[in-house]
Amino acid sequence: MLYFTLASKAYARNLHYRGAHMLHNVASALFGYLYACIWIGIGQDHPLGEYGVHGMVGYIAFNQASLWVSGFVSNGLGIPQAVRTGQISLDLMRPVHLFVMCMCREWGQIAYQFVYKSVPIYLLYMLAFKLSLPTRPDTLLFAAVALAAAGYMSICINYMIGATSLWTTESSWLYWVNHALINLLAGFLIPVEWLPSWLQTVGWLSPYPYLLYVPTRIYMGYEQPGILLGSVAWCMLLTLLCLLVTAAVRRKVEVQGG
Amino acid sequence: MKHWFDLYAVLIRSSIQSRMQYRMNFVLGTLLASLIQIAEFLMIAIILNKFGAVKGWSLHEVGYLFAVMTLSKTLYRTFASDVHHLERYLTTGELDQLLTRPMPVLLALMSQNVRLMPAELLQGSAVLYWSLHGLMSAGQITWTAVPYTLLAIITGAVILFAIGLATAAVGFWMTRINELQTLTEDASQTAARYPLVLYPSWLRSFLLVAIPVGFVNYVPSLFILRGEYGPWLILAVALLAACVLGLALTFWKFGLSRYQSTGS
Repeated sequence: MLYFTLASKAYARNLHYRGAHMLHNVASALFGYLYACIWIGIGQDHPLGEYGVHGMVGYIAFNQASLWVSGFVSNGLGIPQAVRTGQISLDLMRPVHLFVMCMCREWGQIAYQFVYKSVPIYLLYMLAFKLSLPTRPDTLLFAAVALAAAGYMSICINYMIGATSLWTTESSWLYWVNHALINLLAGFLIPVEWLPSWLQTVGWLSPYPYLLYVPTRIYMGYEQPGILLGSVAWCMLLTLLCLLVTAAVRRKVEVQGG
Repeated sequence: MKHWFDLYAVLIRSSIQSRMQYRMNFVLGTLLASLIQIAEFLMIAIILNKFGAVKGWSLHEVGYLFAVMTLSKTLYRTFASDVHHLERYLTTGELDQLLTRPMPVLLALMSQNVRLMPAELLQGSAVLYWSLHGLMSAGQITWTAVPYTLLAIITGAVILFAIGLATAAVGFWMTRINELQTLTEDASQTAARYPLVLYPSWLRSFLLVAIPVGFVNYVPSLFILRGEYGPWLILAVALLAACVLGLALTFWKFGLSRYQSTGS
């Protein structure tokens, strides 16, 4: 119940800024539109593999909407700020595990972003680009599972980014590096199979393709649900890493400021 | 005027000195910024490498557009860093402190938190060198492109600064401007890294008239790389940059006169 309360409070806090977020949605949708235009432009002179022009536009549209679930999570889950203000010492004293607390809060944030950002942006693209939903309901279900796993992996990655701030006090650079890697290795703009082979190898050794590429491919019907095993394996591995990091954080914590 | 320039130079120097007190942070930030820059360019390079020209624009030409935009943006963000971060001053009431200083608010703001951006500078220069070298080897351009390009980078920085300033000035009424900045700065700068011919005409006009980022790299490149129009095009762009700057400064002053503090 506590966990649900943490999540719902984070959701409710965001509701106050719905107006500003809707303006932001326009900018976010424009970003995806730009990338779609690039593929439409390239597609006029070249065939775009198994996707085709319309398929690539759909690919970009789903990626741009999914970014609000698996890309734009809070920087370091708010840990860097807690370190700077000293709040982290109180957070560590609570009878709730730090990772679980941060995770629940972030799920509230992600749920809000899904409802008020991903869905409106995707609806806009559906109208603008005449996209249609998958015909089979199980495709939608598997895509949802893949996306939820992607959200969880992103929470784990950001938890670890946040934890580094106990050593460096500054982790925003890592947040942006993570973002650049999502753009490149998660197949945000370019499907992973079109990357140079060395970059594909690097990509598949990391969890990044499971953040956007896999959910989108499942949604578009190009992948079998078996690939979800990879998502599950990464979720488990990242959870383990987060628990190890928390143990290290408990030994490291220093209270700053006064 | 000279007095303000000297003062600005002193403030910039001290801002850099204070930044350098955190040397490790600077080194780490630079290394990670290089990684981000490489990843960004790789995306464009991979697409063009795989598919060749985009609507008649070759890999070198698109590299040129990318490099000029990166360098202009680096100039703007280095020398006017906190114009982009005005929202923080507005929401915390920190702007009131700047208002009490015996100097123009804009000058005070521009000399706060100066950020050296060696990674962006290096990456932009490297891509520019590679594009110019490639285009020169192919005989498409001659060395005269170099001074024109430098001029385009400077006028580009002025245009980006003017856009940033006008967006920031909206903050005097709206207070929250991050969302607007995503549209007028981030999205439009990203768009102009690619040749504008890719976009539908309404978007192209938007990027040339409403938010004139197209004049930073695309329009100058039409003459510098392709010999279209004539050298007057570069002069016209410089004149436009001066006009846009004048408009933005007037808007900023008007906005500042309407400023109401938010502090508690």
